[in-house]
Amino acid sequence: MSELKPWLKLIYARPGRLLIGALLMLAALLSGLGLLALSGWFITETALVGLLLAASLPATINLYVPGGGIRFFAVSRTVSRYLERLYNHDTVLRLLTDIRVALFRKLASADRGRRRELTGAQWLSRLTNDVDALDTLYLRLIAPAALAAFVTLLIMVLAAVLFDSVIAIGIALILGVAFLLATLAVYLRTAKITSRQSDQQESLRTAVIEHLEGFAELTAAGRTGKHGAWLLRQAHQSSSGQVKADSRVGWHQAGSNLLINLAAVFALWSGFALFRSGVISGPVLVLLPIALLGLAEAYGMLPEAFGKLGATQASAARLNRDCREDDSRVAAEIIALPEGGALIANDLTVKYPENAPLFTHFDLQIKTGERVGILGHSGSGKSSLADVFSGLLIPSGGACASVPCAYLTQKTVLFEDTLRANLLLGSPDATEAELWRILEMVDLAERFRSEVDQLDTWLGSSGSRLSGGEARRVALARVLMSPAPLLILDEPFTGVDKVTRERITRQIDAWLEGRTVISLAHGPDALPCTDRVIHLGV
Amino acid sequence: MTEMQVESSAVKRWLSGLASGNRRWIQGSVAAGTLAGVATIVQMIFLARIVHLGVIEKASAAVLAPLFAGLVLAIVSRAVAQGIQTHLAARCSEQVRRTARRQIHRHWRNSGPLVLGQTSAGSLAREWIDHVDALHGYFSRFLPQMTLSLIVPLMILALVFYLDWLAGIFLLLSAPLIPLFMALVGMGAEKLNQQHFEIISRLSGQFLDKVRGLTTLQLFGQTDSAAELIQQRSDHYRRITLKTLRVAFLSSAVLEFFASVAIAVIAIYIGFGLLGYITYGPSSDLTLFSGLLILLLAPEFFQPLRTLSQYYHDRAAALGAGAEILARLGDKPAPNPLAGGNEDTVDYRPSVSNQVTRRELIELNSVSLTLRADHPILSDVSLTIGKGEVIALTGPSGSGKSTLLHLLAGFLTPDNGDIGLFGKQAGSFAFGWLGQSGFLVHGTWADNLRLTSPDVSDVAIETALRNVGLGPLLDSREEGIFSKVSEDGQGLSGGQARRLSLARIFVADYDVILLDEPTAGLDSDSEIFVLEALHKLALAGKTLIFCTHHHALLVLANRVLLVSGGEVTDV
Repeated sequence: MSELKPWLKLIYARPGRLLIGALLMLAALLSGLGLLALSGWFITETALVGLLLAASLPATINLYVPGGGIRFFAVSRTVSRYLERLYNHDTVLRLLTDIRVALFRKLASADRGRRRELTGAQWLSRLTNDVDALDTLYLRLIAPAALAAFVTLLIMVLAAVLFDSVIAIGIALILGVAFLLATLAVYLRTAKITSRQSDQQESLRTAVIEHLEGFAELTAAGRTGKHGAWLLRQAHQSSSGQVKADSRVGWHQAGSNLLINLAAVFALWSGFALFRSGVISGPVLVLLPIALLGLAEAYGMLPEAFGKLGATQASAARLNRDCREDDSRVAAEIIALPEGGALIANDLTVKYPENAPLFTHFDLQIKTGERVGILGHSGSGKSSLADVFSGLLIPSGGACASVPCAYLTQKTVLFEDTLRANLLLGSPDATEAELWRILEMVDLAERFRSEVDQLDTWLGSSGSRLSGGEARRVALARVLMSPAPLLILDEPFTGVDKVTRERITRQIDAWLEGRTVISLAHGPDALPCTDRVIHLGV
Repeated sequence: MTEMQVESSAVKRWLSGLASGNRRWIQGSVAAGTLAGVATIVQMIFLARIVHLGVIEKASAAVLAPLFAGLVLAIVSRAVAQGIQTHLAARCSEQVRRTARRQIHRHWRNSGPLVLGQTSAGSLAREWIDHVDALHGYFSRFLPQMTLSLIVPLMILALVFYLDWLAGIFLLLSAPLIPLFMALVGMGAEKLNQQHFEIISRLSGQFLDKVRGLTTLQLFGQTDSAAELIQQRSDHYRRITLKTLRVAFLSSAVLEFFASVAIAVIAIYIGFGLLGYITYGPSSDLTLFSGLLILLLAPEFFQPLRTLSQYYHDRAAALGAGAEILARLGDKPAPNPLAGGNEDTVDYRPSVSNQVTRRELIELNSVSLTLRADHPILSDVSLTIGKGEVIALTGPSGSGKSTLLHLLAGFLTPDNGDIGLFGKQAGSFAFGWLGQSGFLVHGTWADNLRLTSPDVSDVAIETALRNVGLGPLLDSREEGIFSKVSEDGQGLSGGQARRLSLARIFVADYDVILLDEPTAGLDSDSEIFVLEALHKLALAGKTLIFCTHHHALLVLANRVLLVSGGEVTDV
């Protein structure tokens, strides 16, 4: 359960809201119970009085109080149910926000190296599913369980007051077992299956993707059928697990229902003894069993929710793992930046585990205002070098220090937002005029002047409304906006045609005056103006 | 073509088609549910009877005891029937999902690798796994409940009519409202679901967008403002959603209201009837037994419908997922000689044509293919290739080299003409194929090679891996061919993966080996190994056909064919 702790803490950060939501649920539940129990009492009372009246014996009955009560409960059940649903949905959406924001902040401070392996679409969709599993934890599980327990206690008190304490204890024992059957027992009997299932699902997904990626080879070898049949078996195994868990939940639901009904039978049976000895009246005798029957509604949602708890725990565990701070990170050697220097790299080694080092003994000194080009074919470790310069990657050997820098990564990253918002990331206080100026510099001003929304043009998911070259130039503009004294540009012109590339190179030359620029590319024509060029890996 | 709008009626037809194959399970589930309904009614009869006898007629415990036994029996049967109902429903969904997955996989095979390659493996996998799983709730909950929400209320209604027709009319009055309820609930739930899913997916999209670009945000020191933005946007959407929810929840509130009011009205009617205040109709015959029984049955009358409304989102989810699956199944499959077997595991259809070509030759007779209108890729190409020849296909990009290779592989069929490989139809027998990207599965080296050749020996596997220069890598792993291909999350480089694929060809002993640009984009190490390996295969007398621009490969070939302008000529 400890994996849920950080998330429960977030949920409980809104105690007032949770309490009001739970009280509304309670009101709806009690109205339902009250409606049935009071109606049962009323009918029995009227039947007895009716018999007396029919025998022309004197009898009176107050019709207004129970009648009014029945009408009140009928209305209050509807109203409180409606309000409860609305209010609690609001709560869930708020919790969703809380959880996402907290998760985002945690991920931001988590180990970057870990995230590198985890940015695939698969990981992102898993992340969404895991978050979704948490946001309804309160509404599905915590509140209903607490309510069921509370209403059970309430009925026990009612039984002690109306009947006697021995019967109350008997009812409490039966209901206690029903409660355990609907909660803890379901959890214990399904937790393993459901948490294993999400792992199975992941490996199944990997296998299906592999199957599809190798479809041509498998077709050629005549193995799509056999391999497909194997996949079907794997999928079937996973759904069999689900069937097993579902059936168990079903049986527990039936079992707890059975016990609730038996509690009602017990109340009726032992109530008759009290009735015969004149301790309680007929209408009161009827009231308690009917209230107990209504309790089934309070218990109804529990088995399913507890059946999913194992999966929720697995989700929470995965999220915790994603957010884990890196403890194995070795502190890099510290090196002082010499006077007038913009960057110094001393005896750098960059190596990924299990691979040969990308480069060793790399030394570089760059003076302020210098423009250095670094050339290397793909796979020579350029981007890793840029990562080291910018501080994204800690080198496995040697040391590196630099003045603050802005870094254009090899991958173009644009956000699903307006052009303005994307550019302002580089310099949050830039004025409109400055934004247009920088767009002119990367030859995009005309492109966006023709758009209706101008700077507020929506760029779509990952900048999907732009061509590759346009997206690249927006990302370049964003880095150029940055006031940082050092700019690192990794393949700044990917997807940009030659004519535009040359024009941009000319236009940004003056803008970069006095700033230190390191640009990395696969060939000399992909570099902006440089004072000197270093060749990597030759 | 997935964007193609699939009509919801077509989706419903597809879903009921899936259901009809598994009718047994659904019927069983409905039967168990009905039994549970009957047991509930019997339970209420016993309960009312006991109260009546005990309270009104002051019956002794001895008289009541057998009735209590009957009551307990009814309760137990109800629980057992409920348990069986969920079990059968879950089994039904299991079967349905298996059928749906089989259908999709059959479609994949009919489409062939070229068509499949146009969609990302990730989204195809999502359809096969997640979308099919989204059918679960529909078949295990919604569908049986739909029938039950008709059967059980009708049984109760009949009994109530028998007990007191006026009370029956109260219930019946709400009965014509039931379809109305259902429509209301349906509309509300559907709208709610649509809204909810839309908002949730938009929100997760924005959230994921920020997570995806987290490194960039960090580089610009903007993670805090991004977190605030997520917060603001979520809050904004929450307010919009709540506005629609206020209306959407009304429909279920109406259902709740009618159910509550019906119970209240019946309770008060029975009460007044028992007091003798109502002088017309059947109320003078009311007893505590019949009155209490009607009261106890009234909530059970509405319960199946309330349950159904809870399951409505299962229907919406299944319809959404079904539409996407159906759109995929609607993709026109490329004619593929490999597919067409009814059994999923049968990989080859026996060749229907009788030996169209000679046994020792690969022959193309007047083959034409046009993929886009007015743009013939190959026109009237005839070609003969002898056994053991090494053929390089070359030519400008887009000239149809790969298309010719795909025709030989049987991934495409020509518009006109015959293709025969050693007397057999293209694609009707196993051959070697090396695409531009190698492919590997999670597992050991041996698993990877046995994927295409299940029966090869360990020694053959090791030899094949050494033949493609993976020997040193293998030696560095403790368990040799039984160690995992990717350890510590470190995969193979692109070149190594392609060599692994080549090792599969080595181990399998194919007569024909087709390779699409086997050296494109390789680092120099891998390139040397690939060239050497191809040379070995050529020496072993295999027929190699590859498209390439690479000089070393052109040298390796004993015949170079230029594919250009729809024609194929010897160079």
